[in-house]
Amino acid sequence: MKILVIEDEKTLSESIVTYLKGQDYVCEAATDFNTATEKTELYDYDCILLDITLPGGNGLAILKELRANNKTDGVLIISAKNSIDDKVTGLTLGADDYLSKPFHLSELSARIAAIIRRKKFDGSSIIHFNNICIDTQAKTAAVNNINLDLTKKEFELLLYFISNKRRVISKNAIAQHLWGDEMEGNLDFIYTHIKNLRKKLQELDADYIKSVYGMGYKFTDS
Amino acid sequence: MKLLSKYNRVNILATVLVLLVSGIGYYFILKFVLINQLDKDLKLEEQEVKDYIKLNNNLPNAANYKDQKVAYEQTNETIVKRKIISIDVFNADENETIPSRQLNFTIIVAGKNYKVSITKSQQETEDMVQLIVSITLIIVLVLLLVLFIINRFVLNKLWLPFNNTLSEIQQFNLSNKKTMRLDNSSITEFKELNNAVTTMSNRVLKDYDALKSFTENASHEIQTPLAVINSKLELLMQSENFTELQMQYIQTINGETSRLAKLNQSLLLLTKIDNQQFTTTEEVNIAAIINKHINNYEELFAAKQITLTKNINEQTIVLMNETMAEVLISNVITNAIKHNIEKGSINIELNKNELIIKNTGPVLNTVPHQLFERFKKDNVNSESLGLGLSIVKKIAEQNHFTISYNYSNSFHIVRVLFTI
Repeated sequence: MKILVIEDEKTLSESIVTYLKGQDYVCEAATDFNTATEKTELYDYDCILLDITLPGGNGLAILKELRANNKTDGVLIISAKNSIDDKVTGLTLGADDYLSKPFHLSELSARIAAIIRRKKFDGSSIIHFNNICIDTQAKTAAVNNINLDLTKKEFELLLYFISNKRRVISKNAIAQHLWGDEMEGNLDFIYTHIKNLRKKLQELDADYIKSVYGMGYKFTDS
Repeated sequence: MKLLSKYNRVNILATVLVLLVSGIGYYFILKFVLINQLDKDLKLEEQEVKDYIKLNNNLPNAANYKDQKVAYEQTNETIVKRKIISIDVFNADENETIPSRQLNFTIIVAGKNYKVSITKSQQETEDMVQLIVSITLIIVLVLLLVLFIINRFVLNKLWLPFNNTLSEIQQFNLSNKKTMRLDNSSITEFKELNNAVTTMSNRVLKDYDALKSFTENASHEIQTPLAVINSKLELLMQSENFTELQMQYIQTINGETSRLAKLNQSLLLLTKIDNQQFTTTEEVNIAAIINKHINNYEELFAAKQITLTKNINEQTIVLMNETMAEVLISNVITNAIKHNIEKGSINIELNKNELIIKNTGPVLNTVPHQLFERFKKDNVNSESLGLGLSIVKKIAEQNHFTISYNYSNSFHIVRVLFTI
């Protein structure tokens, strides 16, 4: 899977690239408008991360150009502006999703995975992780072909874990992903929620969730 | 008291007083002058009688006219003191007493002593005084009427530019960015007032805009470094072989960074509401939004074992911005969960006019209305940001909703009254 990170803040761009490479993506980075247009014109990407404010031009112009050339690269806008207008304009211009800064890399990774899944035209919406099998369209999960009876949030959590497999995910990232931006303060309830999911996975011998002391959780088979 | 009525009161009082005093003075002076004239006539008459006696050596005929009467009376007194007096003479014809002036003197005619009295009616004088007083009174009344009309119509019209300016100042609202429209006035004072007000309001608007854009820019600028910190932290978390203490440090940094990010987001949201970025309105189904958020927070209810009861009119539609509605509802609901107790309860009531959210929770230490202020939290150590309710209040203000908080029967009650 090939991803282009268009982001003028070098340190942030590096972080994103490092994280995504760990998720087995092939990543390229562009830090200004001209480099970005050059790359988008020459190559096809599965997903493009697009910052709106760029030195040399507006990121939305790149998006327009892409869609005008009938390119179907997935586009995820990442912006510091978090303005409704930008979001609406971006989505009408054909962006697939919008993520406002600051974001969790795990959230970014999950969004990219979702975009790539949606872009795949072979009709496959099945994700495998060892003996776990997730159908993202039917929103069902099974272990060794035995259906898991998950709540909506538990399903989303499992999908989030698998999108960020073998990575440590903080409790904040999980809370924000599942319950939205309004979550603040005490996050102890997440523990209960994860415990419930683990119990269901354990019954089918598929509990890959590891608690990482002090930091969060990790979904790993190693 | 209105300046106008105060001025009127003083003005009318002074006018009436001056007219009254001068009227009384006028009356007496006039009377004095007229009586003086009457007395002169009496003396003239006396001279005529004396001249007649000197010429003819007998008394002239006694005369009795309506306004003048001359009478003679033989007397033994040698000398009656010559004097003029005021008397009331009874007129049998008209059956009334007439105020008169009378001159009495003695004169010797043919060796006999006569007392002569000449009486002149004051009737005409009185009539004249009465007429003059009446005219004066009429003038006073006319003057008062004119003053009243002037005050009523002319002064009101004169004050019109002032009243316009005042209503413009009253309607002046920093957040709607509308500059004041002050009419040009030809009156110097009002012109100066308008100039001063315009200058002041423009300066205030400029300062306010500068402050707002500063807040918004500052918040935006903070987003990028925050994003960098967050991302590096997440990468750092992927490393292994941390000591327990190092992990604790990372967790603290992670928690505080998230908090800072949320704080910044909330401030940005407040600024954006202030900047009128959520003004497009549509018919929003409040019930649907409430149900959506209740479902979303299901696990949070469960974690605290909170019992939720609701009485929701599913057809509740409010004309407002949808994003704002989402933020409003999610804030009041999370607020009710966050500040609840274990095994507590939440009651949500929604009808066409209002949304009432009741929740159990520890008694507040702060004054209730301060809850809606920024960064006011009941418990200083709580992990809450203290911005949730001020965002709710801001949204309510923008939409002209009335919002209130009170505590009764161990329930915290937040009430949002929609104006439909």
